[in-house]
Amino acid sequence: MLTTAPYLRIRRPSPTTAEFIVSTLPPQTLPARLALGAVYLVRLQLALAVLLMMYAAQSPYYSAVPLQPLLLPSTKALATDAYANSSTSASTAAAPSPIDVLATTPIFSLAFIRQILNILLSSRLGSLLSKLANSIPPWVLIPCSVITLYFLSLRIGAEERLLVLRGLGVQTSSSGATVFSPLKTRFIPTEKIQDILINEAFRGFEVRHYLIVVVEGEEHIVVVFPRLLPRPRMVEKVWKGARECLYGRDGEDEKDGGRHREDGTV
Amino acid sequence: MPEHDRLMRVFWPIDIPRSDAPGVIVGWRNSSLDVVVIAVLDHVDPRNVENALKAGILLRSAPHPVPRIFELCGQSSMHVLGTTNREFDIEPDSSWVRAIVCPSQRVPEITCPRASSIQIVLFERPIPLRMQYISLNPIALSLADKEDHSLYHASDSSEAEEEKQERRNKQKRRLLVNKLKSHSVIKHSPSLKDRALERIVNQINWAWELERLLQKNVPLIGTRPKRTLSVSERVVEQATNMRDYILLWIWDMAILYAFPIIRRAFVLLLLGHRCAAEALLLILEWRARPSSPALKDVSATAQQVEIRLQQFCYWPMQYVKLRLRKNDWASVTTSHPDYIRFYNSLWLVANDVIIGIALGSYIIDNAEWVADTISMLLGSYTIDLLRTSISWLMGWPAGLKLNSELALFLGDLFLWVIDYWSSCIGTLEPLLPHMVWFIGFSSFAGASMPIALFSDLLSVLTIHIYSFYLASARIFHWQLTILLSLFQLFRGKKYNVLRNRVDACDYDLDQLLVGTILFTLLFFLLPTVVVFYLNFALARMVIISFKAVFDTLLSCLNHFPLFALMLRGKDPRRLPGGIRFELRDTPYRLSIHSTSPLPFLSQPTSVIYLKPIPLAFTAMFHQYFQMGSRIRKHYLSPRVLFCLVTGRFVPPIHRKALYSLQYSMLPARRAGIMEMWEALNSLPAKKRPVNVHPYAFASSMSLDGRRHMNGRAGRGMSKEYD
Repeated sequence: MLTTAPYLRIRRPSPTTAEFIVSTLPPQTLPARLALGAVYLVRLQLALAVLLMMYAAQSPYYSAVPLQPLLLPSTKALATDAYANSSTSASTAAAPSPIDVLATTPIFSLAFIRQILNILLSSRLGSLLSKLANSIPPWVLIPCSVITLYFLSLRIGAEERLLVLRGLGVQTSSSGATVFSPLKTRFIPTEKIQDILINEAFRGFEVRHYLIVVVEGEEHIVVVFPRLLPRPRMVEKVWKGARECLYGRDGEDEKDGGRHREDGTV
Repeated sequence: MPEHDRLMRVFWPIDIPRSDAPGVIVGWRNSSLDVVVIAVLDHVDPRNVENALKAGILLRSAPHPVPRIFELCGQSSMHVLGTTNREFDIEPDSSWVRAIVCPSQRVPEITCPRASSIQIVLFERPIPLRMQYISLNPIALSLADKEDHSLYHASDSSEAEEEKQERRNKQKRRLLVNKLKSHSVIKHSPSLKDRALERIVNQINWAWELERLLQKNVPLIGTRPKRTLSVSERVVEQATNMRDYILLWIWDMAILYAFPIIRRAFVLLLLGHRCAAEALLLILEWRARPSSPALKDVSATAQQVEIRLQQFCYWPMQYVKLRLRKNDWASVTTSHPDYIRFYNSLWLVANDVIIGIALGSYIIDNAEWVADTISMLLGSYTIDLLRTSISWLMGWPAGLKLNSELALFLGDLFLWVIDYWSSCIGTLEPLLPHMVWFIGFSSFAGASMPIALFSDLLSVLTIHIYSFYLASARIFHWQLTILLSLFQLFRGKKYNVLRNRVDACDYDLDQLLVGTILFTLLFFLLPTVVVFYLNFALARMVIISFKAVFDTLLSCLNHFPLFALMLRGKDPRRLPGGIRFELRDTPYRLSIHSTSPLPFLSQPTSVIYLKPIPLAFTAMFHQYFQMGSRIRKHYLSPRVLFCLVTGRFVPPIHRKALYSLQYSMLPARRAGIMEMWEALNSLPAKKRPVNVHPYAFASSMSLDGRRHMNGRAGRGMSKEYD
């Protein structure tokens, strides 16, 4: 719903500069943006819940222990630890409310963070999570939650660009797989470009056409739009546009020069 | 290709001061429509600036030789490129740029009468004093040029085989690439603009320093000469700066008298050290025959000592190189990788020593305990455990019915050797605390020393396991080959050595009979030999993996790109990994020209940002990945598995191949003693800072502070820069 089939967008502020964007994200209207933001928000909450679960698994006794007021953040934290280790079945009658404890703790300290986590864990959802965490053995829980975190951090939609600058070169860029991975770019100066052409290759049971840049003095060719591999019609449009932008009018004369080459595979 | 496309390309520094005042744009003109803007000089006349540039007035009082600028920027002179915020009354050249800048907008509005379209490439200037720079190619953290040669000399046949395979693949790929080349229909000859890119990168690197110089000299062509100080002002100045003068005088005296002596002594010390290092290195590298292994190939300790000595030999050369850098413009970027390499290795050694002191004091304090633990571990694992496992194998292990006579024989044999070995260890045991004490003491030379020593100790103290493994593997291998050839006999065939194939063969009856009986016999004895072989092979594998852990630790201590990682976190611009461009949306006012009355202003303009890419983390750890893949290729290949199954000796990976990582920071050939002597003497003598005048202290304070922030403070040598 949030993504569409890959489509092409061209930005061309001047005839000598063009950017071809192949993207699976639909045009950014307000509802689309809101939906995307909501999905990321839900993912963030889920990720936090998973992290909380991991925390609960790491300290199983926190949920069972009543909260203690902290006199000194450092020494008292140790004391609660020791207390927690010695007797997990302490009475909860004398314990003050967690919010009061929180108010007495200095904000920039480890104890404060720990208190917040404890409060979160003592809530209904938190206790559910910690119960879940304690019922699963850690060697299952930790890999599972790491994998879950990875899937939660995956980026919705993909966007790949080809920027063509006459006199400078071409630059391919593609967004990373996860939210945290940076933009991957590769700039090829015009001097190094041996050729730009459309190639075809078998992939599974289908034939894909893709745009490649042959770089001089390198053993590997550079595939443009490597993840999305758009349809041939789009690729052809990009190819024509890129040649025209890069080499000017004379790039048009050899229009069919690049089409009929059929060697190599992906 | 001629410039028929009439594309104007302007490289514009985004961080130069912007003002509303009319000014003159000065910079490099790479071709008629390709310019790099260096500075905008306010309140001056373009003609004056042009004349001043020709006469070199604007480059006066440069701290370093001026021709070097032109040499590195690839142009013979700077030009006036155009004007800013000026009315269109003067028109000396149609390729001049007109720009409208104001403090509120980041992107200048640029027009040029001769151009049909305009590319504005905005860049943020790297600051050379912070050693920032941009480059087209990623910065090289290791001296990578010698790797290939050293690897080809690996004497192992297995290494050679892998190398051959790799080379064959490379050849194949090259052929493919050549084929692809012949497919290119039209070769576009690069235009002037295309070829200028390298130069432009250099010019961008120089932009910050040049702009400062130009702005400093602007008053020389302006109309306002500086007023000299009055007498009373001079008195005040003298009074306030008395302290500085005295300090300067003391400094001068120190430089004049004390410094040469200290310097001389230090150089002599270095030279003596270098001679000693040379002698030791000669011992470490001595080979009886050209093919036989040197000491450093056998022992981890010797290799560690060799690496340290090589580093000590290389440091003075590196330092000299870095010192010479200071006599040049800061924008010369060729020595920055050297700088990172030098301080990385210094830092690693310092770290190593710090960790080593902690480790060493612990080991020395607890020498008795450590020795006891070691002897306990040795006794329980390499002797008792082995003994019990052998006696377990001598019974019927896991219900496996072995040939008890053969098992008894083999077990007794091995047990007897173990008994002998344990008595040897017993006599050595009183020496162990001394040895541990020695190891602890050695760790004051760095934590890598005790690790290397422990690694060697491990291989010496488990030599019996190694020999058991060799012996059992040999027995197993013999038996297997005999079985195979007897199996051929059993089938009525024979292996033909000459043809390297299996031929049919007519055997006599007695041959067949004896062969079959032998085959049966050996076949039933095989499981007994196999279990013994497996036992020792497993023990050997455990020891190899221990040594692998030690070696990984060593390579981390010796090679970890600590300094580069720190720089990557602190200032990613010091580790350039290439450049990228970003197309920005053209501002509204640039696309439609409602405000400008002139017709030729309807030039389509694209705004592009040039940004540096910081070096990727994978590139920093490239060497580790390479080592990992090499180890994987060597040990996890089907060939090794085959060797293991057939009982053939698994050749250990050649040390040189494995530890090319550790040598990647060192040159292939170390500089000789005389070379070092000459290099050290060629260092320019310490001068008193030339252009120190009292005001400089206060005004350059902020600048100095910044300079010290960027890593120069951490170098431990408190020598002033200028």
